[in-house]
Parts: sequence; structure tokens; C-alpha cells
Amino acid sequence: MFAYEKKLQYPVRIKNTNPALASYIISQYGGPDGELGASLRYLSQRYSMPYPELQGLLTDIGTEELGHLEMIGAIVYQLTRNLTDEQIKSSGFAPYFIDHTTGVYPTAASGFPFSAGALAVKGDIIADLTEDLAAEQKARVTYDNILRMSDDPDVSDAIRFLRAREIVHFQRFGEAIRLAKEKMDQKNIYYTNPAFDR
Amino acid sequence: MISKNQTAQTASCEDGSGTMPSCAPLAVPYVPFQQKGAKKYSQTDALNNGTLFPGLNLPFRMKVPGRNAVDSALSELQALEFVIAELNLYLDTHSDDQEAFALFQQYVKMEAEARKKYEETYGPLTLTAAAADQRYRWLEGCWPWTDCEEEKR
Repeated sequence: MFAYEKKLQYPVRIKNTNPALASYIISQYGGPDGELGASLRYLSQRYSMPYPELQGLLTDIGTEELGHLEMIGAIVYQLTRNLTDEQIKSSGFAPYFIDHTTGVYPTAASGFPFSAGALAVKGDIIADLTEDLAAEQKARVTYDNILRMSDDPDVSDAIRFLRAREIVHFQRFGEAIRLAKEKMDQKNIYYTNPAFDR
Repeated sequence: MISKNQTAQTASCEDGSGTMPSCAPLAVPYVPFQQKGAKKYSQTDALNNGTLFPGLNLPFRMKVPGRNAVDSALSELQALEFVIAELNLYLDTHSDDQEAFALFQQYVKMEAEARKKYEETYGPLTLTAAAADQRYRWLEGCWPWTDCEEEKR
């Protein structure tokens, strides 16, 4: 089960309102490579994983991703404090504002609401862990792209932290594939699916 | 069990590199295994860089002005907890690394002391801590998504 800790993983302290940036960064809340999808992907994949290293790693990274979801929510919240009508009209934030005011809603920057279609749970060790490697890279690129757009050092600071985590997670998932492979059929790891075949 | 030639060797490659088998089955993705004894940052540098390991610190070309995120009671606690979280993931794939486990234990102890001090001044971080208080203080102070630390500096 999960118990709440009343703090973020990394400080989010944004001084200036910036609705344009908020409208991009919301993608990491509910977009295709966002933190909500990441946490659901890992926390759901773990059930069919047969080895303790894989069950543990997916639980622990999935939990950290929930902390990242909270950080992204905090960034969007702080970027949209005390908005004026003029700021909303001139920033491109208006379409989001019409639907959600300044509430934090899981959607892609392009306006598509959160969809489980952007994550996969295949119930197979190699397929799922390879998906996770790709997922970490796609999230890393999204953070690269946000850094390109960001003109606020307060925002870039927190985004840079989140980007660094994607690289560490990629490393650990890669190691997990290696550990799993050691336990699978040594001649042909595709001979059975240890997540299903007994 | 991890076979000897996979992770047991200690730092035979440079810090930013890992070990690979000399021959490996086809059609499987491989990521080099991080070696035991990899260099580690202090908790402050770890939080600032988003990783405990200099070998995994691979920043993007867009320069972000260097800043120290650890400048308050809360961020000092966050730095300790970050090292614990990072060691947790490392130990998930290196469970036989006793040196890393000893460091993990050491940081958990430091975090518990720092947390106790923090909560005495700023209020409970968990419901368990809230229950140990003289009265119900869970609703006091700011919630994490507001700029809490601004108020506490």
C-alpha cells in the first residue's frame, strides 16, 4: 500500500507565472510519455514478473514516478498562479483554461487527454522491460524538448533533475534485463515465457 | 544468482563505463552493468545532479545555471532521502554489494535523525508522526505543491 509523505522528492520553487510553459509541461503529467503513464506502466507490469529483482525494481521505480507526477503537478500549479485574463489570452494557455481553468488535469500538451494507450503491459519479461527502456528514453527526450522551450531557470532546474532520473532508470532496467536473462533458458531465452509457462 | 563474470568484478573499467560479457546471445538488448565501487557524490551533489553516481550524470547541452537546491531544512532532508532512493534502485540490481548496503544503512540512520528534527520544528510529514504529536497538526503548514520552502527560509 502507499502512505503519503508531505513533501516533494526535489524542491519546486517557481517565482514567476508562465502559462505558456505550463501548457507544455502538462504533457509530462498526462501525456504519452508522462509520469502518470510511467508509474502505471511499472506498477502494473510488476504483477506478471517472475523474479524478485524485477518485482522490486518495478515497484520502486513505479513509486518514484508517482513522486515525479507530484513534482510536475507542483510545477504546473506554480506556473499558473495569479493569472490575468491578458496573460491567458496572449500565452496560448486559453484552450486549456477553457476546459480546466487552472486545475491540473492529465492531458498531453497537444490536448489529447491521458490515455492508457500510450503504455503497455505485455506479460512477458523481455517485451515489458524493453518497453521500459524505450519509455525512459521517450521521457528523457520530452524533458530535453521542455528544456529547449524553457526560459525560466526555476523551471529548468526541476526539469533537469527529472531528466537525470530517466537516465538512471534506463540503466537499472538494462541491468534488470541482464539479471533476468541469467535466470532464463541459457540457450534460447525465447523458448518459454517464464511469466506464464510453468 | 549473478554469475561472477557479470557483476562481481570491482571497477575494472573506467567509472563511466560498465561491464559486458565477452560473448552474449543474439537478439537480446544489453546495457553495460554498473560496476561495484562506482564513484558516488555527497548527498548535496547527488540531489543537485539528479543522481548519486558521477558515471550516470549525463546532462543535456542546454546549460542550466548551477544552483544549490540544498539550502533549507526540508531540502537537507530531501537530499538524504534521495541518496536512499538511489541506493534502493542500485541494490535492486546489485543485491550482493555489501559496501553499498552499508552505505544504505548509514543514510537511513541519518535520515531518521534529520526527519525527527525537521518534524519537531515544522510539523509532521506522515500520519504516524501526526499521531505522535500533542494535537492534530497534519493540516498546519503548507502542502508540498505550494512553495513551502520560501516560507521556511
